[in-house]
Amino acid sequence: MNYLLPERLERLAREYALGTLAGPARRRFERLLRQAPAAMRAVGAWQERLGSLASAVPPMQPSDSVWRGLEGRLFASPAPRGPLRWLWSVLSVRALGGALAGALLFAVLLRLQPGLIGLEPQSDALPQSYVGLLLDSAGKPTVLASSKRHGTVMTVKLLQPVAIPAGSVAQLWALPKDGSAAFPVGTVPGSGTATVALADTSEKLFFDVTRLAVSIEAAPAKAGDKPSGDFVLSGHCVKLW
Amino acid sequence: MSTNEDLAALLPRVALGDRAAFEGVYRASCAHLLGVAFRILNSRERAEEVLQEAFMNVWHSAGGFDASVAGPMTWLINIVRNKAIDALRSGKTERASTLALDEEAMAVAADARQQPQALLERSLEKLRITGCMGELGAPQRQALALAYYRGMVHTEIAETLGAPLGTVKGWVKRGLDKLKDCLEAAGVRRDSPA
Repeated sequence: MNYLLPERLERLAREYALGTLAGPARRRFERLLRQAPAAMRAVGAWQERLGSLASAVPPMQPSDSVWRGLEGRLFASPAPRGPLRWLWSVLSVRALGGALAGALLFAVLLRLQPGLIGLEPQSDALPQSYVGLLLDSAGKPTVLASSKRHGTVMTVKLLQPVAIPAGSVAQLWALPKDGSAAFPVGTVPGSGTATVALADTSEKLFFDVTRLAVSIEAAPAKAGDKPSGDFVLSGHCVKLW
Repeated sequence: MSTNEDLAALLPRVALGDRAAFEGVYRASCAHLLGVAFRILNSRERAEEVLQEAFMNVWHSAGGFDASVAGPMTWLINIVRNKAIDALRSGKTERASTLALDEEAMAVAADARQQPQALLERSLEKLRITGCMGELGAPQRQALALAYYRGMVHTEIAETLGAPLGTVKGWVKRGLDKLKDCLEAAGVRRDSPA
Protein backbone atom coordinates (compact mmCIF):
# COMPACT_ATOMS: atom_id res chain seq x y z
CA MET A 1 0.00 0.00 0.00
CA ASN A 2 1.34 3.43 -0.84
CA TYR A 3 0.89 5.42 2.35
CA LEU A 4 2.24 8.55 0.77
CA LEU A 5 -0.71 9.24 -1.54
CA PRO A 6 -1.73 12.72 -0.37
CA GLU A 7 -5.29 11.85 0.60
CA ARG A 8 -4.34 8.68 2.43
CA LEU A 9 -1.43 10.36 4.15
CA GLU A 10 -3.64 13.21 5.31
CA ARG A 11 -6.18 10.78 6.78
CA LEU A 12 -3.53 8.70 8.56
CA ALA A 13 -1.70 11.80 9.84
CA ARG A 14 -4.95 13.24 11.18
CA GLU A 15 -5.96 10.02 12.92
CA TYR A 16 -2.48 9.37 14.25
CA ALA A 17 -2.19 12.87 15.72
CA LEU A 18 -5.63 12.63 17.31
CA GLY A 19 -4.95 9.11 18.60
CA THR A 20 -7.83 7.32 16.91
CA LEU A 21 -5.41 5.34 14.74
CA ALA A 22 -4.87 2.28 16.93
CA GLY A 23 -3.20 -1.11 17.15
CA PRO A 24 -0.92 -2.43 14.39
CA ALA A 25 -1.95 0.40 12.02
CA ARG A 26 -0.59 2.90 14.55
CA ARG A 27 2.72 1.03 14.82
CA ARG A 28 3.03 0.77 11.02
CA PHE A 29 2.43 4.47 10.65
CA GLU A 30 5.04 5.21 13.34
CA ARG A 31 7.59 3.28 11.29
CA LEU A 32 6.63 5.28 8.21
CA LEU A 33 7.03 8.50 10.19
CA ARG A 34 10.68 7.72 10.85
CA GLN A 35 11.36 7.29 7.16
CA ALA A 36 9.13 9.78 5.36
CA PRO A 37 9.59 13.50 6.00
CA ALA A 38 6.29 14.20 4.22
CA ALA A 39 4.47 12.05 6.77
CA MET A 40 6.29 13.78 9.61
CA ARG A 41 5.26 17.19 8.30
CA ALA A 42 1.63 16.14 7.87
CA VAL A 43 1.51 14.82 11.42
CA GLY A 44 3.32 17.90 12.74
CA ALA A 45 0.70 20.19 11.23
CA TRP A 46 -2.11 18.23 12.88
CA GLN A 47 -0.31 18.02 16.19
CA GLU A 48 0.08 21.78 16.13
CA ARG A 49 -3.65 22.27 15.52
CA LEU A 50 -4.65 19.76 18.17
CA GLY A 51 -2.04 21.05 20.61
CA SER A 52 -4.04 24.26 20.81
CA LEU A 53 -6.85 22.23 22.38
CA ALA A 54 -4.59 21.38 25.33
CA SER A 55 -4.45 25.01 26.46
CA ALA A 56 -7.50 24.72 28.70
CA VAL A 57 -6.40 21.54 30.45
CA PRO A 58 -5.85 22.44 34.13
CA PRO A 59 -2.20 22.01 35.10
CA MET A 60 -1.29 19.49 37.82
CA GLN A 61 1.96 19.76 39.73
CA PRO A 62 3.72 16.37 39.70
CA SER A 63 5.03 15.03 43.00
CA ASP A 64 8.75 15.45 43.65
CA SER A 65 9.31 11.74 43.16
CA VAL A 66 8.84 12.11 39.38
CA TRP A 67 11.86 14.38 39.01
CA ARG A 68 13.90 12.41 41.56
CA GLY A 69 13.09 9.22 39.67
CA LEU A 70 14.21 10.80 36.41
CA GLU A 71 17.48 11.94 37.91
CA GLY A 72 18.05 8.49 39.36
CA ARG A 73 17.29 6.70 36.13
CA LEU A 74 19.21 9.03 33.84
CA PHE A 75 22.16 10.24 35.80
CA ALA A 76 22.89 7.77 38.55
CA SER A 77 23.05 4.42 36.78
CA PRO A 78 25.69 2.17 38.32
CA ALA A 79 28.93 2.27 36.39
CA PRO A 80 30.56 -0.95 35.28
CA ARG A 81 33.69 -1.98 37.12
CA GLY A 82 37.13 -2.03 35.58
CA PRO A 83 39.50 0.26 33.80
CA LEU A 84 36.84 1.75 31.54
CA ARG A 85 34.73 2.91 34.49
CA TRP A 86 35.73 6.57 34.16
CA LEU A 87 34.86 6.42 30.47
CA TRP A 88 31.39 5.12 31.22
CA SER A 89 30.87 7.93 33.67
CA VAL A 90 31.79 10.42 30.97
CA LEU A 91 29.40 8.73 28.58
CA SER A 92 26.60 8.47 31.10
CA VAL A 93 26.36 12.24 31.45
CA ARG A 94 26.18 12.41 27.67
CA ALA A 95 27.60 15.90 28.01
CA LEU A 96 29.30 15.58 24.71
CA GLY A 97 26.39 14.36 22.66
CA GLY A 98 26.33 11.20 20.58
CA ALA A 99 28.81 12.20 17.93
CA LEU A 100 31.42 13.62 20.21
CA ALA A 101 31.09 10.74 22.66
CA GLY A 102 31.57 8.40 19.72
CA ALA A 103 34.78 10.12 18.71
CA LEU A 104 36.01 10.13 22.29
CA LEU A 105 35.24 6.49 22.84
CA PHE A 106 36.94 5.70 19.57
CA ALA A 107 40.07 7.57 20.58
CA VAL A 108 40.19 5.92 23.98
CA LEU A 109 39.68 2.45 22.61
CA LEU A 110 42.41 3.04 20.10
CA ARG A 111 44.77 3.89 22.93
CA LEU A 112 43.76 0.81 24.88
CA GLN A 113 43.49 -1.51 21.94
CA PRO A 114 45.41 -0.07 19.02
CA GLY A 115 45.05 -3.26 17.04
CA LEU A 116 41.28 -2.89 16.94
CA ILE A 117 41.20 -1.30 13.54
CA GLY A 118 44.67 -2.27 12.49
CA LEU A 119 46.28 0.99 13.51
CA GLU A 120 50.03 0.72 13.94
CA PRO A 121 50.89 1.07 17.62
CA GLN A 122 53.66 3.58 16.98
CA SER A 123 51.41 5.96 15.06
CA ASP A 124 50.02 8.88 17.06
CA ALA A 125 47.72 10.24 14.38
CA LEU A 126 44.30 8.71 13.97
CA PRO A 127 43.64 7.62 10.40
CA GLN A 128 40.86 9.27 8.47
CA SER A 129 37.90 7.08 9.34
CA TYR A 130 34.17 6.80 9.62
CA VAL A 131 33.04 6.09 13.16
CA GLY A 132 29.63 5.17 14.51
CA LEU A 133 28.50 4.73 18.09
CA LEU A 134 25.15 3.00 18.36
CA LEU A 135 23.07 3.31 21.51
CA ASP A 136 20.31 1.05 22.74
CA SER A 137 16.83 2.33 23.60
CA ALA A 138 18.01 3.26 27.08
CA GLY A 139 20.80 5.35 25.58
CA LYS A 140 23.61 2.98 26.55
CA PRO A 141 26.52 2.73 24.07
CA THR A 142 26.25 -0.72 22.51
CA VAL A 143 28.06 -0.97 19.18
CA LEU A 144 31.19 0.84 18.08
CA ALA A 145 31.64 0.69 14.31
CA SER A 146 34.68 2.05 12.52
CA SER A 147 36.22 1.86 9.10
CA LYS A 148 39.09 3.64 7.42
CA ARG A 149 38.02 6.29 4.95
CA HIS A 150 39.31 4.43 1.92
CA GLY A 151 39.10 0.94 3.41
CA THR A 152 36.68 -1.82 2.45
CA VAL A 153 36.18 -3.42 5.85
CA MET A 154 34.34 -2.22 8.92
CA THR A 155 35.23 -3.30 12.44
CA VAL A 156 32.38 -3.62 14.89
CA LYS A 157 32.80 -4.03 18.60
CA LEU A 158 29.96 -4.85 20.96
CA LEU A 159 30.23 -2.74 24.10
CA GLN A 160 27.48 -4.74 25.73
CA PRO A 161 25.82 -7.95 24.51
CA VAL A 162 22.79 -7.71 22.23
CA ALA A 163 20.06 -10.35 22.48
CA ILE A 164 19.57 -11.85 19.02
CA PRO A 165 16.71 -14.38 18.88
CA ALA A 166 17.64 -17.82 17.53
CA GLY A 167 17.27 -17.93 13.77
CA SER A 168 17.61 -14.14 13.43
CA VAL A 169 20.46 -11.79 12.68
CA ALA A 170 21.34 -8.28 13.87
CA GLN A 171 21.47 -6.30 10.64
CA LEU A 172 23.46 -3.07 10.46
CA TRP A 173 21.99 -0.31 8.26
CA ALA A 174 23.33 3.01 7.02
CA LEU A 175 20.91 5.95 6.93
CA PRO A 176 21.73 8.70 4.41
CA LYS A 177 21.51 12.36 5.39
CA ASP A 178 18.87 13.17 2.78
CA GLY A 179 16.35 10.78 4.32
CA SER A 180 16.52 8.30 1.45
CA ALA A 181 16.12 4.61 2.19
CA ALA A 182 18.49 2.90 4.61
CA PHE A 183 20.87 0.43 2.98
CA PRO A 184 22.30 -2.72 4.54
CA VAL A 185 25.97 -2.76 5.58
CA GLY A 186 26.37 -6.21 7.13
CA THR A 187 25.47 -8.23 10.18
CA VAL A 188 26.88 -7.78 13.65
CA PRO A 189 27.43 -10.47 16.31
CA GLY A 190 25.66 -10.50 19.68
CA SER A 191 28.94 -9.88 21.52
CA GLY A 192 32.67 -9.52 20.95
CA THR A 193 34.09 -8.02 17.79
CA ALA A 194 33.74 -8.75 14.09
CA THR A 195 34.97 -7.54 10.75
CA VAL A 196 32.40 -6.76 8.10
CA ALA A 197 33.41 -6.80 4.44
CA LEU A 198 31.97 -3.72 2.73
CA ALA A 199 30.48 -3.64 -0.76
CA ASP A 200 32.69 -0.64 -1.66
CA THR A 201 35.08 1.76 0.04
CA SER A 202 33.83 3.51 3.15
CA GLU A 203 34.20 6.83 1.40
CA LYS A 204 31.75 5.81 -1.33
CA LEU A 205 29.31 4.12 1.01
CA PHE A 206 29.24 6.50 3.96
CA PHE A 207 30.04 9.91 2.52
CA ASP A 208 26.40 11.03 2.87
CA VAL A 209 25.51 8.79 5.81
CA THR A 210 24.81 10.49 9.12
CA ARG A 211 23.35 7.62 11.11
CA LEU A 212 23.80 3.88 11.58
CA ALA A 213 21.19 1.57 13.02
CA VAL A 214 20.60 -2.11 13.77
CA SER A 215 17.39 -4.07 13.31
CA ILE A 216 16.66 -7.73 13.98
CA GLU A 217 15.99 -9.59 10.72
CA ALA A 218 15.15 -13.16 9.81
CA ALA A 219 18.10 -13.28 7.39
CA PRO A 220 20.97 -11.01 6.34
CA ALA A 221 19.62 -8.17 4.19
CA LYS A 222 20.59 -7.88 0.53
CA ALA A 223 21.08 -4.70 -1.47
CA GLY A 224 17.70 -3.06 -1.98
CA ASP A 225 16.15 -4.64 1.12
CA LYS A 226 14.47 -2.44 3.72
CA PRO A 227 14.43 -2.88 7.52
CA SER A 228 11.44 -5.05 8.40
CA GLY A 229 10.90 -3.62 11.86
CA ASP A 230 12.02 -1.07 14.40
CA PHE A 231 15.68 -0.31 15.01
CA VAL A 232 16.94 -1.77 18.26
CA LEU A 233 20.13 0.32 18.17
CA SER A 234 20.94 3.58 16.46
CA GLY A 235 23.47 6.36 16.56
CA HIS A 236 25.45 8.96 14.69
CA CYS A 237 27.98 8.17 11.98
CA VAL A 238 30.74 10.76 11.91
CA LYS A 239 33.82 11.48 9.82
CA LEU A 240 36.97 11.40 11.90
CA TRP A 241 39.02 13.95 10.01
CA MET B 1 10.00 35.40 27.06
CA SER B 2 7.11 32.95 26.62
CA THR B 3 7.28 29.34 27.76
CA ASN B 4 7.50 28.26 24.15
CA GLU B 5 10.46 30.54 23.48
CA ASP B 6 12.15 29.28 26.64
CA LEU B 7 11.59 25.70 25.58
CA ALA B 8 12.80 26.34 22.04
CA ALA B 9 16.05 27.69 23.47
CA LEU B 10 16.44 24.87 26.01
CA LEU B 11 15.72 21.80 23.88
CA PRO B 12 18.80 22.09 21.63
CA ARG B 13 20.91 22.29 24.79
CA VAL B 14 19.23 19.16 26.11
CA ALA B 15 20.25 17.44 22.88
CA LEU B 16 23.85 18.25 23.80
CA GLY B 17 23.43 16.65 27.21
CA ASP B 18 22.90 19.82 29.27
CA ARG B 19 21.27 18.65 32.51
CA ALA B 20 20.38 22.15 33.69
CA ALA B 21 18.54 22.77 30.42
CA PHE B 22 16.75 19.44 30.85
CA GLU B 23 15.58 20.44 34.32
CA GLY B 24 14.51 23.80 32.86
CA VAL B 25 12.35 22.04 30.26
CA TYR B 26 10.87 19.80 32.94
CA ARG B 27 10.06 22.65 35.34
CA ALA B 28 8.52 24.78 32.60
CA SER B 29 6.26 22.09 31.19
CA CYS B 30 5.66 19.30 33.73
CA ALA B 31 2.46 20.66 35.29
CA HIS B 32 0.80 21.22 31.94
CA LEU B 33 1.95 17.83 30.62
CA LEU B 34 0.80 15.98 33.74
CA GLY B 35 -2.61 17.60 33.28
CA VAL B 36 -2.78 16.26 29.72
CA ALA B 37 -1.74 12.73 30.77
CA PHE B 38 -4.16 12.75 33.72
CA ARG B 39 -7.16 13.57 31.48
CA ILE B 40 -6.38 10.47 29.40
CA LEU B 41 -5.49 8.04 32.19
CA ASN B 42 -7.70 9.38 34.99
CA SER B 43 -5.13 8.28 37.56
CA ARG B 44 -2.44 10.52 39.04
CA GLU B 45 -0.15 7.56 39.67
CA ARG B 46 -0.31 6.29 36.10
CA ALA B 47 -0.08 9.82 34.70
CA GLU B 48 3.10 10.44 36.71
CA GLU B 49 4.59 7.19 35.43
CA VAL B 50 3.84 8.29 31.89
CA LEU B 51 5.32 11.73 32.55
CA GLN B 52 8.54 10.15 33.76
CA GLU B 53 8.73 7.83 30.75
CA ALA B 54 8.05 10.76 28.46
CA PHE B 55 10.91 12.77 29.93
CA MET B 56 13.23 9.78 29.53
CA ASN B 57 12.38 10.11 25.85
CA VAL B 58 12.90 13.86 25.90
CA TRP B 59 16.41 13.40 27.27
CA HIS B 60 17.31 10.75 24.72
CA SER B 61 15.64 12.24 21.68
CA ALA B 62 15.79 16.01 22.14
CA GLY B 63 17.98 16.01 19.02
CA GLY B 64 14.89 14.93 17.10
CA PHE B 65 13.05 18.14 17.98
CA ASP B 66 12.65 20.12 14.78
CA ALA B 67 11.18 23.59 15.25
CA SER B 68 10.21 23.67 11.58
CA VAL B 69 7.86 20.69 12.07
CA ALA B 70 6.20 21.59 15.38
CA GLY B 71 6.58 24.01 18.27
CA PRO B 72 8.35 22.82 21.42
CA MET B 73 5.23 22.51 23.59
CA THR B 74 3.46 20.67 20.77
CA TRP B 75 6.43 18.32 20.52
CA LEU B 76 6.33 17.64 24.27
CA ILE B 77 2.54 17.22 24.38
CA ASN B 78 2.82 14.77 21.52
CA ILE B 79 5.35 12.60 23.38
CA VAL B 80 3.20 12.61 26.51
CA ARG B 81 -0.07 11.96 24.68
CA ASN B 82 1.45 9.06 22.73
CA LYS B 83 2.82 7.49 25.92
CA ALA B 84 -0.48 8.03 27.73
CA ILE B 85 -2.47 6.55 24.86
CA ASP B 86 -0.16 3.51 24.73
CA ALA B 87 -0.45 3.08 28.51
CA LEU B 88 -4.23 3.46 28.34
CA ARG B 89 -4.59 0.84 25.63
CA SER B 90 -2.10 -1.64 27.05
CA GLY B 91 -3.69 -1.45 30.50
CA LYS B 92 -7.28 -1.61 29.34
CA THR B 93 -7.69 -5.37 29.36
CA GLU B 94 -6.07 -5.69 32.76
CA ARG B 95 -8.25 -3.02 34.34
CA ALA B 96 -11.42 -4.29 32.75
CA SER B 97 -10.94 -7.60 34.54
CA THR B 98 -9.97 -6.15 37.91
CA LEU B 99 -12.03 -3.00 38.28
CA ALA B 100 -15.54 -3.66 39.48
CA LEU B 101 -18.24 -1.14 38.78
CA ASP B 102 -17.53 0.71 41.99
CA GLU B 103 -18.00 4.34 42.87
CA GLU B 104 -14.82 5.41 41.16
CA ALA B 105 -15.78 3.72 37.93
CA MET B 106 -19.28 5.17 38.11
CA ALA B 107 -17.87 8.65 38.64
CA VAL B 108 -15.55 8.24 35.67
CA ALA B 109 -18.40 7.02 33.49
CA ALA B 110 -20.63 9.92 34.46
CA ASP B 111 -17.81 12.34 33.90
CA ALA B 112 -16.68 10.81 30.63
CA ARG B 113 -19.00 12.78 28.42
CA GLN B 114 -19.24 16.11 30.20
CA GLN B 115 -15.72 16.93 31.28
CA PRO B 116 -13.96 16.61 27.90
CA GLN B 117 -16.66 18.73 26.33
CA ALA B 118 -16.19 21.45 28.93
CA LEU B 119 -12.43 21.40 28.24
CA LEU B 120 -13.08 21.71 24.53
CA GLU B 121 -15.43 24.65 25.00
CA ARG B 122 -12.88 26.44 27.20
CA SER B 123 -10.10 25.82 24.67
CA LEU B 124 -12.26 27.13 21.84
CA GLU B 125 -13.00 30.25 23.87
CA LYS B 126 -9.30 30.83 24.46
CA LEU B 127 -8.65 30.39 20.77
CA ARG B 128 -11.62 32.65 19.96
CA ILE B 129 -13.11 30.14 17.58
CA THR B 130 -16.21 29.25 19.61
CA GLY B 131 -18.49 30.84 17.04
CA CYS B 132 -16.86 29.13 14.09
CA MET B 133 -16.84 25.72 15.79
CA GLY B 134 -20.43 26.32 16.87
CA GLU B 135 -21.40 25.57 13.28
CA LEU B 136 -20.70 21.94 14.14
CA GLY B 137 -23.39 19.91 15.85
CA ALA B 138 -22.95 19.05 19.52
CA PRO B 139 -22.24 15.36 18.77
CA GLN B 140 -19.37 16.28 16.45
CA ARG B 141 -17.78 18.46 19.09
CA GLN B 142 -18.36 15.80 21.72
CA ALA B 143 -16.75 13.09 19.57
CA LEU B 144 -13.72 15.29 18.97
CA ALA B 145 -13.41 16.07 22.69
CA LEU B 146 -13.59 12.39 23.69
CA ALA B 147 -10.91 11.45 21.17
CA TYR B 148 -8.55 14.26 22.10
CA TYR B 149 -8.90 14.57 25.87
CA ARG B 150 -9.71 10.94 26.69
CA GLY B 151 -7.64 9.18 24.02
CA MET B 152 -10.70 7.20 22.93
CA VAL B 153 -10.80 5.31 19.63
CA HIS B 154 -13.83 5.39 17.32
CA THR B 155 -15.45 2.29 18.81
CA GLU B 156 -15.23 3.67 22.34
CA ILE B 157 -16.69 7.00 21.29
CA ALA B 158 -19.52 5.15 19.55
CA GLU B 159 -20.20 3.22 22.74
CA THR B 160 -20.05 6.31 24.96
CA LEU B 161 -22.34 8.36 22.74
CA GLY B 162 -24.58 5.45 21.74
CA ALA B 163 -24.09 6.10 18.03
CA PRO B 164 -23.19 3.82 15.09
CA LEU B 165 -19.46 3.47 14.38
CA GLY B 166 -19.66 4.86 10.84
CA THR B 167 -21.52 7.92 12.07
CA VAL B 168 -18.92 8.54 14.76
CA LYS B 169 -16.08 8.30 12.26
CA GLY B 170 -17.81 10.96 10.20
CA TRP B 171 -18.33 13.17 13.25
CA VAL B 172 -14.66 12.99 14.20
CA LYS B 173 -13.55 13.74 10.66
CA ARG B 174 -15.90 16.70 10.33
CA GLY B 175 -14.85 17.95 13.75
CA LEU B 176 -11.18 17.91 12.72
CA ASP B 177 -11.83 19.48 9.34
CA LYS B 178 -13.81 22.24 11.00
CA LEU B 179 -11.10 22.79 13.61
CA LYS B 180 -8.56 23.19 10.82
CA ASP B 181 -10.76 25.67 8.97
CA CYS B 182 -11.58 27.67 12.09
CA LEU B 183 -7.93 27.87 13.21
CA GLU B 184 -6.89 29.00 9.75
CA ALA B 185 -9.68 31.57 9.54
CA ALA B 186 -8.69 32.93 12.95
CA GLY B 187 -5.04 33.05 11.92
CA VAL B 188 -4.08 30.73 14.76
CA ARG B 189 -2.42 28.26 12.44
CA ARG B 190 1.30 28.16 12.89
CA ASP B 191 3.14 28.58 9.60
CA SER B 192 4.31 25.13 8.70
CA PRO B 193 6.71 24.33 5.88
CA ALA B 194 5.21 23.20 2.60
